[in-house]
Amino acid sequence: MEIILSLAIGIITASGVWLLFRPRTFQLAIGLSLLSYAINLFILAMGRLKMDAPPVVDKVAEANPAAFADPVPQALVLTAIVISFATTALLLVLLLAARGLTGTDHVDGTEKTP
Amino acid sequence: MSPADHLVIAPILLPLLAAAFMLVLSERRRWLKRLISLATLSALAGVAIALLTMVDAPGGAPLAYRLGNWPAPFAITLVVDRLSALMLLLSASIGLCTLFYALARWDRAGPRFHPLFLLLTMGVNGAFLTGDLFNLFVFFEVMLAASYGLALHGSGVERTKASLHYVAINIATSLLFLIGIALIYAVTGTLNMADLAVRVPVLAGQELVLLESGAAILSIAFFVKAGMWPLGFWLTPTYAAAAAPVAATFAIMSKVGIYAIVRLSALAFGPASGLAAGFANEWLMAGGLATMAFGAIGMLAASRLSGIGGSYILLSSGTLLVATGTGSAPVLAGALLYLVSSTLGVCAMYLLIEPVERAADIDREAAQRQSEPVFEDDEPGLLMEEYEAEEEEDEIGIVIPATIALLGSAFIFCALLMAGLPPLSGFIAKFAIIDGMLSGLPAMGTGGWTAIAAILLSGLATLIAMTRAGISLLWVPVDRPQAHLRVVEAMPIALLLALCLALVIGAGPVTRYMKDTAAALHDPGRYAGAVLDPALQPPERRR
Amino acid sequence: MSGKTLLSLIVVLPFLGSFLAALLPVYARNTAAALSGMLALAGLAILAFFYPAVTGGGMVRVDIAWAPDIGLDLILRLDGLSWIFAFLILGIGALVVLYARYYMSPEDPVPRFFSFLLAFMGAMLGLVLSGNLVQLAFFWELTSLFSFLLIGYWHHNQSARDGARMALIITGTGGVCLLLGFLIIGRVAGSYDIDVIRTQADAIRSSGYYLPALLLVLAGAFTKSAQFPFHFWLPHAMAAPTPVSSYLHSATMVKAGIFVLMLLWPVLAGTEEWYLIVVTTGLATMVFGAWSAIFQQDLKGLLAYSTISHLGIITLLLGLGSPLGAVAAIFHTINHATFKASLFMAAGIIDHETGTRDLRKLSGLYRFMPITATLAMVAAAAMAGVPLMNGFLSKEMFLAEALADHQGTIIDETLPYLATLASAFSVLYSLRFIHQSFFGPPPRDLPHEPHEAPPWMRLPIEILVLACLLAGIAPNLTIAPFLANAAQSVLGDRLPHYSLAIWHGFTLPLAMSLIALGCGILGYLLFRDRLNAVKRSPVVGRLQGRRAFERVLAAIMDGGVALQRWLGTKRLQMQLRILLGMVLLLGALPFLRFGYSPGTQQLTPVDPVFALIWIVGGACAVGAAVTAKYHRLAALVLLGGAGIATCISFLWLSAPDLAVTQLLVEIVTTVLLLLGLRWLPMRRPELWSGSRPLRVNLRRATDLGVALAAGVGMALLSYAVMTREAPAGISRFFVEQAYPGGGGTNVVNVILVDFRGFDTLGEITVLAIVGLTVFSLLRRFRPARESVRTPVQQRRQNAYDEAQADRSLGDTLADYLLVPRIIMEWMFPAIIVFGIFLLLRGHDLPGGGFAAGITFSIAIIIQYMASGTRAVETRLSVLPLRWVGFGLLIALATGAGAMLLGRPFLTSWFSYLDLPLIGKTPAASALLFDIGVCGVVVGSTVLTLIALAHQSIRTPRTETEES
Repeated sequence: MEIILSLAIGIITASGVWLLFRPRTFQLAIGLSLLSYAINLFILAMGRLKMDAPPVVDKVAEANPAAFADPVPQALVLTAIVISFATTALLLVLLLAARGLTGTDHVDGTEKTP
Repeated sequence: MSPADHLVIAPILLPLLAAAFMLVLSERRRWLKRLISLATLSALAGVAIALLTMVDAPGGAPLAYRLGNWPAPFAITLVVDRLSALMLLLSASIGLCTLFYALARWDRAGPRFHPLFLLLTMGVNGAFLTGDLFNLFVFFEVMLAASYGLALHGSGVERTKASLHYVAINIATSLLFLIGIALIYAVTGTLNMADLAVRVPVLAGQELVLLESGAAILSIAFFVKAGMWPLGFWLTPTYAAAAAPVAATFAIMSKVGIYAIVRLSALAFGPASGLAAGFANEWLMAGGLATMAFGAIGMLAASRLSGIGGSYILLSSGTLLVATGTGSAPVLAGALLYLVSSTLGVCAMYLLIEPVERAADIDREAAQRQSEPVFEDDEPGLLMEEYEAEEEEDEIGIVIPATIALLGSAFIFCALLMAGLPPLSGFIAKFAIIDGMLSGLPAMGTGGWTAIAAILLSGLATLIAMTRAGISLLWVPVDRPQAHLRVVEAMPIALLLALCLALVIGAGPVTRYMKDTAAALHDPGRYAGAVLDPALQPPERRR
Repeated sequence: MSGKTLLSLIVVLPFLGSFLAALLPVYARNTAAALSGMLALAGLAILAFFYPAVTGGGMVRVDIAWAPDIGLDLILRLDGLSWIFAFLILGIGALVVLYARYYMSPEDPVPRFFSFLLAFMGAMLGLVLSGNLVQLAFFWELTSLFSFLLIGYWHHNQSARDGARMALIITGTGGVCLLLGFLIIGRVAGSYDIDVIRTQADAIRSSGYYLPALLLVLAGAFTKSAQFPFHFWLPHAMAAPTPVSSYLHSATMVKAGIFVLMLLWPVLAGTEEWYLIVVTTGLATMVFGAWSAIFQQDLKGLLAYSTISHLGIITLLLGLGSPLGAVAAIFHTINHATFKASLFMAAGIIDHETGTRDLRKLSGLYRFMPITATLAMVAAAAMAGVPLMNGFLSKEMFLAEALADHQGTIIDETLPYLATLASAFSVLYSLRFIHQSFFGPPPRDLPHEPHEAPPWMRLPIEILVLACLLAGIAPNLTIAPFLANAAQSVLGDRLPHYSLAIWHGFTLPLAMSLIALGCGILGYLLFRDRLNAVKRSPVVGRLQGRRAFERVLAAIMDGGVALQRWLGTKRLQMQLRILLGMVLLLGALPFLRFGYSPGTQQLTPVDPVFALIWIVGGACAVGAAVTAKYHRLAALVLLGGAGIATCISFLWLSAPDLAVTQLLVEIVTTVLLLLGLRWLPMRRPELWSGSRPLRVNLRRATDLGVALAAGVGMALLSYAVMTREAPAGISRFFVEQAYPGGGGTNVVNVILVDFRGFDTLGEITVLAIVGLTVFSLLRRFRPARESVRTPVQQRRQNAYDEAQADRSLGDTLADYLLVPRIIMEWMFPAIIVFGIFLLLRGHDLPGGGFAAGITFSIAIIIQYMASGTRAVETRLSVLPLRWVGFGLLIALATGAGAMLLGRPFLTSWFSYLDLPLIGKTPAASALLFDIGVCGVVVGSTVLTLIALAHQSIRTPRTETEES
């Protein structure tokens, strides 16, 4: 499993980074979203893998941390998801505005390189 | 706990509260919003001063604020030490001055200026206060999100284009931030900075390597904020395109990156941390020198004041990186003074640009360039032209006579401040840094000499650039329409410069404070102690 | 008043006056002049009061604590040397003020002039009274600054602007060197206190840092004192009003460098390096200046070069390193100040009264202004070193020193001849100055009709000339004691025996002066007419310091522009490439240095299904990367595919909350992108037809390389971590405390709303801000024209409506997808309920405020999608910004509630209560917090979506707006 997850992270990252270098704003947006997937998986992986762990603790018995997936990375990922969602939305709107103003969807706001 | 203890969190909660309250108000109630903003920022300044006196009291330890009453290092802790208090005060002063300036007209150039402005302050303050790595990330995001909004304030092609770059780069950087944090958590199992200071030194082998890698990736995020060459090309265009008060406020943001570097390198990734010794410092040194060079070049090349301002920010970041790279306490003490005075200086400079260029009668063209009518308007957030045209008399403040003379002197003071010449604090700061470097004289290698040369030469470059700009803007006679300057515009500039003068007059206590701050930074134990001391933890809760 | 305050007053008063003068009305010349004069006289009075204290090597010293932590204390020290300098600064200052009152035209904003003048005076006084090197450097830079303002006073003239800038940059550069030099000296001596440093003289001279320090200090002193080759700023500073010239170039500005040399003479002088550098420079300057002075056609130009020459003499004398040389230097400094000031004033009068300073135009002015002429003649005689003038005495001493043997070098050999030569030159140009302007036929076509200057304007000259005569005729009664004090304060017990007698018998120096006198006169008689024809001084005229300076400056600027373009970039792609490159470099470096090794932990067995999922997921990711340019919709779908794979993995790895949230966010993001797609332009085919150019392929190859490297890097990092034992970190606490302490069984949610609730607060703030920004961005957004046409399908439908008689426009659109629409509208309440459910159970089971919020906003979007913007907004009015605001306020209030109970922010409280239907529900303060979160999420999400949706009902921009 570790190998598969690592490969998955790697592949998504690579695709995202490739898009980061492309000249069109839409490509940029897609690239960043892909990267945020990769990062979220990465953060989760940093808590090591744990399968079929119970989702919630028991109310009566003393909870045994070893039985649970590390909750901290999960919490971090949740926050990260929200924030990257927000920023992606902003970027999208911004690129629409830029397109409306400059008449092009090139990341530099002009077709010819300055 | 006593109400006084809650002061620690006030710099974050007050602006948030004010901003949230403004959101439920109608946009039309501008005056109320203005009052709220002013009140909030004044309060923040007060709080900052109070905190500063608290931590600076003889034997005063850093104050830790345990959110949710959970014991450290598990939950989030806010920490105020001398450094944080200093930065808080700086951010409050900058905020207050720029806000005042914005009241003249800029806060009407677009909707929702005040909430965004306050939230930016909140983000900055949070970054200075938090003692938790991930929480630092969150506050960086708050700060950045607000800065996106403000960078776009007033709209216009230039701003949109510049902001697109700014946003894209910073989103990418935030992802790096996350990678760094995740790696550090993966090997140390903690997010609390003080806890890191305890756990990092015991790491070894591959764990240590992983940590180093994480730290390096994390530091890149900060380098981007600080505008280190070659990661800072976005800075000048963004600041140049932004509305004057916004750019002036941004002056503090590059310093947040520096703050994070100083804080973490002192606390967790310093020489004490067992990281490959001096490894980080060499990088800081090299990067800093490159940044200084690029900044100086940029100033010489700049054709507009905004260009000079942006390059100067790079230059000062470079200087601070170099100073941090030396890893010596006296240098750091000088650097902190430099940080304060250069921030105040460039802030004043950005505020000056508009009146000066207006006096030189190239302001209108600038305004054209910056915000041409791209949206037609359906709300009070006005476009500059219409504004100039119809509501001139509605601008706040009385026009003051002898404008040119005033602008001239203000400009000269800015130039002196930035070039590190007397009588303002720039000189003392520069002296303190170099003196600190020379204190290691016999042992000092070429690196030290290069740094000294760089500092002095960059000062010269600043002088040359500013002289050139000043002469062509203020001395070359143009049949200018009687230049006008409003009290509400002049006051903040004067205030900023007065602060720098105060730094000189009060050099004694000021340098003493900086010395103690630097010393404390080189002794992470005290910080960690204040956060982790079992005696200070709340009792465990059981139900 | 204590002596302490009194002494500091000398420095403080001028600055005070400068400030006051600046506040005076624009044309208040009398007030300003009076003020300045008073202050100068007051300073003199104070100085006189301290005179007894400084006689016989005495010294007055005041220490004021300033910044002890960085070894910076204000020290004022007044000894014989600084006394005499201060005296010159104040005395000549007072005279210049009086002179300026009559010289400046009433049109000038004179108060500003006096304000600068006073500030400059203050800076000079601060400089000579400094007892601390850093403080000295401080005032040094101030003098540069204020001289800049004075020289540029008439800044409407190009020449004034250039001259001022040149002076500032040259002397400023020197100042930087000086500062560094001082810092090094201070470090070696262990203090910046001059008196301490003087005790360390030997240590400094013998230390390895002596030479660098010396060079740096000299660089400062030489630039300031206009020594060759840094002299060229001085002639151009003549663009200043004449009072300024007569002040800056006689007693003050240029003497600052000399002063520093004298001050540090006991510390630095006497070594071979010192001798070679200083003497050579002085010599060169002396000869060069004197030679060039001969060929000047501008009165002030002539004086400027003679100033340079005389400064050269003084420097030379100091360079010799002999006590007598030092005495002579001090003496000549005093004399030069007196006669040069008066000569500048005389030149000013000529300029003022005739309207020109061109020697070729001037002639025979004696008959118009006999008094001024007489005065000028006396002063010039002093400059030429004619007996019975003070200039003669110091010249004699100089020649005597020139004869003496010092280091036995070639310089010593040539010194006498060059000294005589220079003296001859100075006789020549002095003679030319006088004869050309005052004698000969009456002048023709002068701008004004010349006449005698008003007596008050002459008074300063008269006083100065009188001083020259007195000092020249009866030196021992006048100047001797002051000179003795000054010399003693520099030389201490090395004070040599010297005599100021006019007649030492027929000595060699006397012979040399006579030769010089004779040659000078002869030379003038021979060449007087030819001199008028000269355009620029022969031989050295080629050394155009100014042009070189301008060239260098321009080169620097252009170089800056070029370098900036070369070292920087404005393009986003390039910046991102650099960013990623740096990340790879810095991130990989540790591994390159210490190696990479995966952990030893047992791998978890591979589940083929999971593998399959990621084969698909990975394919989706790559596909998205490939298609994003030309097939945006496809890319979007593939992106979704990758997202789903991520969700499933979350579920797989026992992170249900993440799965839920990721899925919901997925949906919303997709909707957003879909809404946005429409406004993007048609994708044009490749710019290059057929095969791509090589550089493009290369660039893509590198990009691909970087991308792959990044992917591999991330994979390796995560593998290295996942194969390692997790450290005993903070997470166990959360699992243990979640229920007992936090009152929730869903650990993740408890962390979010309680343990790390502060993060969540920040997170929703970000959401709120983004909502605001989007709102203000799109509020007045107008999409580009080509993209606002109604979609093809809709156009068809409308066409159909128009075709059919019985249908009215838009019916088809209304009927279109009727059934799904109704279903979607009915779903609304259902989804809302589901959202509430998620919200309430969040604390114990996967869910929570954020998930709920997103759910609510999805419900609303569905309404928009189903019935269209207008239809929805007629039915329910959404005020997203209010929701955001209230959400934030609720969250804040929840957190702050604890503060009232004396607990830290966000301290939670909870119990359980029974609700119908939902059952036992945790009613924790955390729930309230979650509600706030929910509000913000709904608000800003809906806001963004609506803002985008609204674009479709905007009318296109008109042509005019388009352009």
